[in-house]
Amino acid sequence: MPVLEPLVPKVLTVRRLPGADPALLRAYGADPERHRALGLVTVDQDDPTYVALDEATKHAAVDVVYARSFYAGSRHASGPLSGEILGVLAGEDPAEVDAGLDALLQTLAHDACFYAADAGGNIAVFPHVIASLGHYLSAQAGLVAGTPMAYLVAPPMEATIALDYALKAADVRLVKAFPPPTETNFAAAWLTGELHACEAAAMAFAEAVVDVARQPRER
Amino acid sequence: MSAPLSRTRDLVAALRRQLGEDDPQPPRAPLPPVPLPPERVFPSPRRRSRMAEAAAAHTTALVGIGHVGTRYATDVVLQFQAELAVAHGAVAAELPDGWAEARGYVPVRSRVAHHREFLLRPDLGRRLDEPSAARWSAECRKDVDVQPILADGLSAVATMGAGPELLDAFTRECERKGWSVGTPVCAKFARVWLQDEIGELARARVAVILLGERPGLGTGDGLSAYLVYGPKRGNTDGNRNMMSNIHARGTPPVDAARRLAVLVHLMLEQGTSGVSLDLAPRAAELGEAARGGYRAPQARSRLVEV
Amino acid sequence: MKLQATIRGVAYSFGSVKEVLAKANPPKSGDDLAGVSAREPVERVAARAVLAQLTLAELRANPVVPYEADELTRLVEDSLDESAYNAVKHLSVGQFREWILDAGTTAARLRSVGPGLTPEMAAAVCKLMSNMDLMVAGAKCEVLVRCNNTLGLPGTLSSRLQPNHPTDDVEGILYSAREGLVYGCGDAVLGVNPATDTPESTAEILRALGDLRTRNQIPTQQCVLSHVTVQMKALALDCPMDLMFQSVAGTQAANAAFGIDVRLMDEAWDLMRRRRSSLGPNFMYFETGQGNALSSDAHHGADQVTLEARAYGFSRRYKPFLVNTVVGFIGPEYLEDGPQITRAGLEDHFMGKLMGLPMGCDACFTYHARMSQDELEGLKVLLGAAGCTYLMSLPVGDDIMLTYPSTSFHDVPTVRGLVRKSPAPEFDAWLASRGISSGFTPGARFGDVTVLR
Repeated sequence: MPVLEPLVPKVLTVRRLPGADPALLRAYGADPERHRALGLVTVDQDDPTYVALDEATKHAAVDVVYARSFYAGSRHASGPLSGEILGVLAGEDPAEVDAGLDALLQTLAHDACFYAADAGGNIAVFPHVIASLGHYLSAQAGLVAGTPMAYLVAPPMEATIALDYALKAADVRLVKAFPPPTETNFAAAWLTGELHACEAAAMAFAEAVVDVARQPRER
Repeated sequence: MSAPLSRTRDLVAALRRQLGEDDPQPPRAPLPPVPLPPERVFPSPRRRSRMAEAAAAHTTALVGIGHVGTRYATDVVLQFQAELAVAHGAVAAELPDGWAEARGYVPVRSRVAHHREFLLRPDLGRRLDEPSAARWSAECRKDVDVQPILADGLSAVATMGAGPELLDAFTRECERKGWSVGTPVCAKFARVWLQDEIGELARARVAVILLGERPGLGTGDGLSAYLVYGPKRGNTDGNRNMMSNIHARGTPPVDAARRLAVLVHLMLEQGTSGVSLDLAPRAAELGEAARGGYRAPQARSRLVEV
Repeated sequence: MKLQATIRGVAYSFGSVKEVLAKANPPKSGDDLAGVSAREPVERVAARAVLAQLTLAELRANPVVPYEADELTRLVEDSLDESAYNAVKHLSVGQFREWILDAGTTAARLRSVGPGLTPEMAAAVCKLMSNMDLMVAGAKCEVLVRCNNTLGLPGTLSSRLQPNHPTDDVEGILYSAREGLVYGCGDAVLGVNPATDTPESTAEILRALGDLRTRNQIPTQQCVLSHVTVQMKALALDCPMDLMFQSVAGTQAANAAFGIDVRLMDEAWDLMRRRRSSLGPNFMYFETGQGNALSSDAHHGADQVTLEARAYGFSRRYKPFLVNTVVGFIGPEYLEDGPQITRAGLEDHFMGKLMGLPMGCDACFTYHARMSQDELEGLKVLLGAAGCTYLMSLPVGDDIMLTYPSTSFHDVPTVRGLVRKSPAPEFDAWLASRGISSGFTPGARFGDVTVLR
């Protein structure tokens, strides 16, 4: 497998609940006053899905009420349809939820994905640039919706080394770091700055992960 | 192939090349193909909707044409634009120099100098210019029963089309009834009221002006006729009778000529025209000449064939 | 009262308020034809500078047609709401413009002064406004009317369905009417201009439209636009007449050319009050258009914008459900091209609204005017954004009887979508119940005539 080949996420389930029970709505963080319809997905890659859920909030009147990664990642899933994440969109109007799901699936098919950082495809890197945040991730990051953000993920050592490169590569600011261990045992970081700076940082991050993969030991 | 669907993917591709990875970039997952519009919203020329077929027996309105989103299908747009172009062409056309003479009509013109002025100055279109008045005065037969006048009005295309046929048919109808008919005359840049001055100079009892009517979508070929008893400047619309829609799809020229002759007959008998003309004495004849009441309009012709 | 202004050292003086009003007008071919327009652009601005200084009281004292000579002037003067007039009479026209545009001036405040304005005042302030001013001011005015449904609510845009037919073939009329309904058109009125102006054909068309409405329970109203005297006779023929129509103009002489006067319209109104088939309280329908007074040589040397406003002064006596300007129909000798027709549409909408009328606009032209389809589409969107009460609607916008292009069945939902406005609420609910549309969003049965019976 060539280096930096896209590893396109697999969407395992897409289901809708046009009129979910209020108790279920409350249990999954929705507000029965404002939300009636749910759109649910499971996917084998969690971080592209967080990005795609956020994208949905930009295209439809929906909220991301629930999104959690599963322990130890998709290779240790509870079933063939579980993947690595369950994401839930909620809205008043089922048609809006449908529009949100359309945007989400489009993002997963054509935009957000991990890339192979080594020829064997065993090391994955997520050097993703979001040009304009939706209201889900912006709230998570404590940024204003519409701000650019670099969303960077890699395994623990690769991510730690690469984050240092990324921070030095451009005029960016560390918004939030997720040191290992996480649910999936990756490490991640969110950076913000001007769009071109986020792009430069993300590519420096990807390049550094490839470098660590090629040369795991300096001594 | 390279629509910027994903900034990140493009950046990573550039990074790959920079790192010396020369493997061809794997093809991007294909976009789903755009489906053809469903038949119901886009009736093809060959398979028009049943509703459109049924409606065509009753109306020329473009109904049953479907929609794409809230807009028209492409074949409807083209048909519409073709009809519009026909209408604009008819408005913009002018009677060429020499056209009237070649047909043996005395050529006269109004005080309008050019086409734009004709549209903006109806007052000038209602008066003969001085050379025309002099020539007409010198050449026209005087003291006639009927003075027919052919004119461009708002569509020279219509005048040049069915105009001579209508003028000939009407003249024959008048001569058959034994009335004296004035010298044939053709007026350029003419409004309806020009019939007063032309008729007055010929000392005609009735003046009848046949002129191109305001073009509609796809139809620049309609003629109207206005008749006035005792033509003289100062007459108003209340003094006139009119007949419109004279063309192959409306009232054909031969039928129209018969009906116009009936109106002239009434005017000569009653010595008046317009609102004070009583149509009742010859109502049967008028109806017969018009071939009686309503007729289903003919289908709108498809202008664009591909 | 000073009728003089100096621009770059050149003094411009004017002989009368009527002359100032005329010369302050933006260019219109009809004012040129009448010989009342400014000779050159700087004189036009000078006239506006003079106009901006005149007070509303001075305009009331100087109607463009004298009180003694014209029953419309008398009607306006004698029925003016004095308390509303007293609230604004001290303002200059320039100040009045600024007060209208001020953010603090609400729709309710505008509505309260409307009955105190003479047509000359509405026309005067119009002449100091740009197109965008006219849109902002027009959008502010809210005029609510009720008949079988409710028109003019904020956030709504209605349409007249105009299923005209060259021979009044009732089946042909119904084909067009059904097609329009399933595109969400017709909440203002199902209104037919008849080819034959007789009481019998008027009644026949009204019955056919009434049956269609009853069969499908459509909350709107039907009307046949024959002469008012013909409609009065048709009322005796037992037909469902929801609205009574008449073309009106801005002087007594021009109305005489239409065959009407105040006495006749009072009689018609009273007959409808007793015999109409609709709920009301608004049940009259008027059409106007710049240039209609000049075309019957009844303009008294006044400009066509002021005369148009006077037609509104006449209309408001009858608290109409619908008034629209047939803006480009009259021809290029009155409005020559796209910019003039666009300007006139926005002027008429604003003036009518300011005077308290539910203004719609037939955005249209004739084929000998210099206007393109694209310019006409633009005008429809401008009117939608300016809060126009209703537009027309015909199959592809083509009137096969009157042979002119107007608004189409497709244009109405398009403009609603672009400016995010909905049909009248009762009609909107009906459309939703049939799956045709909801608000400005087309539904599953949009354009599908099989939903109708």
